[in-house]
Amino acid sequence: MRSRTRFSAQTLSVLAALCEEPSQWRHGYALAEQTGLKSGTLYPILIRLAERGLVEACWQEEPAPGRPRRHLYRLTVPGLATAMEVTASAAGSAPRPGARAARSARAGRPAVDPVTG
Amino acid sequence: MSRAAAAAAGVALRLLPAERRDWVRAIWAESYEVPSGRRRLAWLAGGLPAIATGALMASRIGRWLVFAVAAGCTARVTWPGSPDRFATVIARMDLITVVLLLAGLPWLMSRFLGSASDSRLGRFLRVGGYGAVLTYTVAKARLVPAGPDPTGPALQFAWFAEILLLVVVAGYVAAILAVTARRSRVAPATLAIGTGAGVVLGVVMYAVAPLGLSKVATDPWLPGSEIDPVVALAWILLLGGPMAAAVLAGRRYLGPGDPHEIDKARIWQCAVAGILATGVGALIVAILGTGTIALMPRAAWLRHWLYPGQHLLAGAVHSRELAASNGSGAYGLILIAFPVIGLLLGVFSSAAAIESSGPPAGGGGPPRPEPGPEPVPDSPGSGRLADAGAGKGGSTAGLPGWGEEGPDGVQGEVMAGLTGGAGLGAGAR
Repeated sequence: MRSRTRFSAQTLSVLAALCEEPSQWRHGYALAEQTGLKSGTLYPILIRLAERGLVEACWQEEPAPGRPRRHLYRLTVPGLATAMEVTASAAGSAPRPGARAARSARAGRPAVDPVTG
Repeated sequence: MSRAAAAAAGVALRLLPAERRDWVRAIWAESYEVPSGRRRLAWLAGGLPAIATGALMASRIGRWLVFAVAAGCTARVTWPGSPDRFATVIARMDLITVVLLLAGLPWLMSRFLGSASDSRLGRFLRVGGYGAVLTYTVAKARLVPAGPDPTGPALQFAWFAEILLLVVVAGYVAAILAVTARRSRVAPATLAIGTGAGVVLGVVMYAVAPLGLSKVATDPWLPGSEIDPVVALAWILLLGGPMAAAVLAGRRYLGPGDPHEIDKARIWQCAVAGILATGVGALIVAILGTGTIALMPRAAWLRHWLYPGQHLLAGAVHSRELAASNGSGAYGLILIAFPVIGLLLGVFSSAAAIESSGPPAGGGGPPRPEPGPEPVPDSPGSGRLADAGAGKGGSTAGLPGWGEEGPDGVQGEVMAGLTGGAGLGAGAR
């Protein structure tokens, strides 16, 4: 089905970042560093993606000593499909980013325990 | 961080909805990874207010709180002055009336058309409209009185003009609330197209007349030939913009209903697109222009921008500001005349929209060719966005109609209106 979803450039960059290693849980700061987004832009995007079921979030189970538990994010299966679709269409005829991610999505994502994040 | 600040943060956290508290904690926890100092402060200062503001705006109490703060700030700026002066009396009357209008009209409109729609563009229009009306009130109050207080017939005319202007402002607020209401018959595409055209018209009109229609004040801004390209563009946008918006909105409307109903609805969409194109444009040029006139004597950077390369003496600035203040009434005329022009042009263009659309989909004629293999059915609400509450189940099935994402989402929808509104709601493709 042809997607009618349109995303801003910032959202696309977040989706692309999450799409690179979709099985891995990612931290907010790492995403901010990778995408170049400020926290005031990144977190509202993550919230909206999570509210629409494209991103799942959880808390780190074993935080570093003296540090609070960190919040972790990764794409859901529908989120991965959407991310691949929109990043591919954004890239035009360029090779799809995350072909490995596509295989991962089709095969079912291996569970990653968010113990250490 | 001190214990007091931590305690204050804890209290603030409890004010937020439960589903947003985790996100605040997330930003807080993540700040430990950010290098300390300015970068960490920027991380917290950027993220926490963004989430808190979003959560506040999502709640009724939060919206009222934001409105109360905005009204308070407006009052703080407009209220001072001698009550013996006519300008002060008018400014106070404007303030009270506008605040009552903004507070009361939503309740009144919700009885007929329901509460605010869930679309981002709708919310943007409501918030932007409220901000625009309050800003206009402030700017108007800050204008330097052009002369002594009016007396006799001039006083009566001044009162008539002020009351008429308030009625017009009430009309604008009511129109904004009506087109963005849940049970509004205005399709999302119409809203986006009309708003986009209006933004362009308003900006270009402001470039033409940043200081009202006073020749003395504005002439230096656009020197040169009689037919300045920007002036020509403004005329083209004023007359052609509503027509183009109307045709586009009419053509994009696909139903539901039988062919006769769809044609009638298309005329309605065309009229609304025309009114929106000119109404939004009028509001923008009135606010920007009035604000520019009010700021001119107070802001040197603005004078440099308005009169580049000219070194104006204080007397010259004052005389131009007086001329501009006198000419600022033209914005009131623009506020009245533009929507009428838009309505007429929109209705006039509806014939072209209906003719060029051909037989409506599902109306007995051949179906409209769809680019995709799986056309999404029209939503029951005359094409209103289908993203209300979508996607809760974590499925892309909820995504059709989910418009622009991210902080520039509203801008994206407006720009979509300018470029044809691609990707809007299911029923108004």
